[in-house]
Amino acid sequence: MKFRLMFAAAAIASLVVAGCGSSSSSSSKSASSGGSSGGKCSASIGIEAPITGKVAVLGDEQLHFAELAVQMDNAANGTNISLVQGDTQLTPSQAVTVTQQFISNSKIVAVVGPAGSQEVLAVGPLFTRAGVPFITGSATKTTLTGGQFPTFFRVVSKDSVQGPEDAGYINAHLHPKALMIVDDQEAYSTGLVSAMAPVFKAAGVSVDHESVSQTVTDFSSLVSKVTPATTVVVLPWQVAANAQQFGRNLAEQHKKAVIFGTDGLYSPGTFTIPGSYVSSFGPDITAIPADSTIAQQAKAKYGTFGTFGPPVFAATHVIDQAIASVCKSGQTPSRSNVLSAIKQTDESSSILGQPIKFDSHGDLIGAKWFLFKIGPKGAYQLVTNS
Amino acid sequence: MHFFVQELVNGLTTGSLYALVALGYSMVYGVLKLLNFAHGDLYMVGAYIGYFVIQWFGGASAVSIPVPLLLLIMFLLSGVGVGALGVAIERFAYRPLRDAPRIAPLITALGVSFFLENAALLLFGAQYRIYNTPEFISFNIGIHVGPLQIDIVRILVIVLSVALMVGLRLLVTRTRLGKQMRAVATDREAAEMMGINVDFTIAATFFIGSALAGVSGVMAGLVFNQVNNTMGFLAGLKAFTAAVVGGIGSIAGAMLGGMLIGIAESMITGYISSTYTNLIVFGILIAVMLVRPSGLLGRVQLQKV
Repeated sequence: MKFRLMFAAAAIASLVVAGCGSSSSSSSKSASSGGSSGGKCSASIGIEAPITGKVAVLGDEQLHFAELAVQMDNAANGTNISLVQGDTQLTPSQAVTVTQQFISNSKIVAVVGPAGSQEVLAVGPLFTRAGVPFITGSATKTTLTGGQFPTFFRVVSKDSVQGPEDAGYINAHLHPKALMIVDDQEAYSTGLVSAMAPVFKAAGVSVDHESVSQTVTDFSSLVSKVTPATTVVVLPWQVAANAQQFGRNLAEQHKKAVIFGTDGLYSPGTFTIPGSYVSSFGPDITAIPADSTIAQQAKAKYGTFGTFGPPVFAATHVIDQAIASVCKSGQTPSRSNVLSAIKQTDESSSILGQPIKFDSHGDLIGAKWFLFKIGPKGAYQLVTNS
Repeated sequence: MHFFVQELVNGLTTGSLYALVALGYSMVYGVLKLLNFAHGDLYMVGAYIGYFVIQWFGGASAVSIPVPLLLLIMFLLSGVGVGALGVAIERFAYRPLRDAPRIAPLITALGVSFFLENAALLLFGAQYRIYNTPEFISFNIGIHVGPLQIDIVRILVIVLSVALMVGLRLLVTRTRLGKQMRAVATDREAAEMMGINVDFTIAATFFIGSALAGVSGVMAGLVFNQVNNTMGFLAGLKAFTAAVVGGIGSIAGAMLGGMLIGIAESMITGYISSTYTNLIVFGILIAVMLVRPSGLLGRVQLQKV
């Protein structure tokens, strides 16, 4: 009995510690939102990100950059905006639960996220019905901005831009006669494959389309199918460590195919196979002089980062500015007036190295696409952006 | 032929890991009739211990001691550390519920699983830890015949797994502890009346099963390179399936089940398509269970009425 009580107490204590840990890492504050508190412009923003689970490394980065944006914008605008965390684990069902919580929290006037296209599809109808504006920093499925979710925006390019651009680059510069393309069974990945496949087909490239779950960590059987004629393997994946292992398996079997990855594979500390390419919807902000302050602060506070954080910073900043402009006009921030303000966003520059303005469907006008090549020592070099 | 052998070796490697983890499931089920769903997470803890040992000795690219010694330390520390963790879990989470309805320890096992997974997230962060095995064990050592490429790490994993399985089999069939384990598995109360220290025997079972999971976690790190807090879930699920297919409670069955799943996955990926791997593998497993509900090597349980 004594042991049982001790174990239960230890378990509860550790959960409390875990809870404290996660809240202390957030910039969330308990201040009331959606109004003025002591003359300050107050509101709450929700963030939906995969803070735990298989891609927690990406979600953590997104959360950190959202926190940084709120902190910097509060200081610059004199606002009192707080951030409410929602962990979606990159699963639509979990995203729906978090979304319902956010919708029922009347203090939340806008949401950053969710991260995955499959999640946007799941939560879009809920946010639309509740009139909550939401801006993703990483969901790229083309059809998301087809008009069915009028309160949805994104600050990154969509698959119909990135997919054909990637495929076109591969055809033009890597000249494959045969290639293998492996999706990871998530909407993000299958969406990019759908956008790339017609371009390869039109160029007469023989394509072996394979599919593996994100949870798989051994690709040796798949790599055995890479023939000498297969000179490129395309991995539109979200887990960089998996691509690293794929590269190891290629080397283990002495195969020379070049890996061409996307977005989630941008991870200089993790995916380091020399000669590989990574296309990304986000820039390497450490190479943008105007972003040096943000990059330094992010590195000092959270360590190394990739390309998933900066777009979320941009998304959060758009909402922060919208809230500030609502307050400036003498109104109290609400979902509808913040939505109107977001629609009118017109920033001449941003952390992404480009202006931010949305078209009528919520897409970023002139969204860029970036391509990096990994050098002999694992360093990422920008090849092109368009 | 080369392609077949390559896929066979790939399948044997993953199958060996499934089998080692499945052994722990099977042993614990044998003595306690408990499905220890936290077992996959012990495999994750073992992989982390292996990773930190590499870092201790200078990191993958600058290992400061001979590689065989490094591997020995990794396996030993991981085995002993995870074995001790398994004993602690049994002592504090399962033993108090030993006489409770069977659903209670089952739910507790799920709780322990989530506890370990999230404790690892809190302690080690979300980022993937990379073993970088090729930095200290070259791919060029191994069997290389034409397109057939079997590196030394895979050979090590298969040989060590088989040795551990044979060793465990000998321990269970030829030693006093093994006899005690079999007695407790057959009838705990009768074993206690015969003077067997049941608590010690169960703790020893947890130690051995958990140690095997820890060692297989290090092997997974060496072969698959990456470690993170969620890696135990799928491995645990596959190993549990292997244990059930082989006949849960049967050590030979766990080995057979693990190897079968590993080889089936590899062959389907190689000869059909990776898209259908899980579909076909689990389809085969359902068929096996329909034909032999107690598993391939499991015994039919007689019910007292």
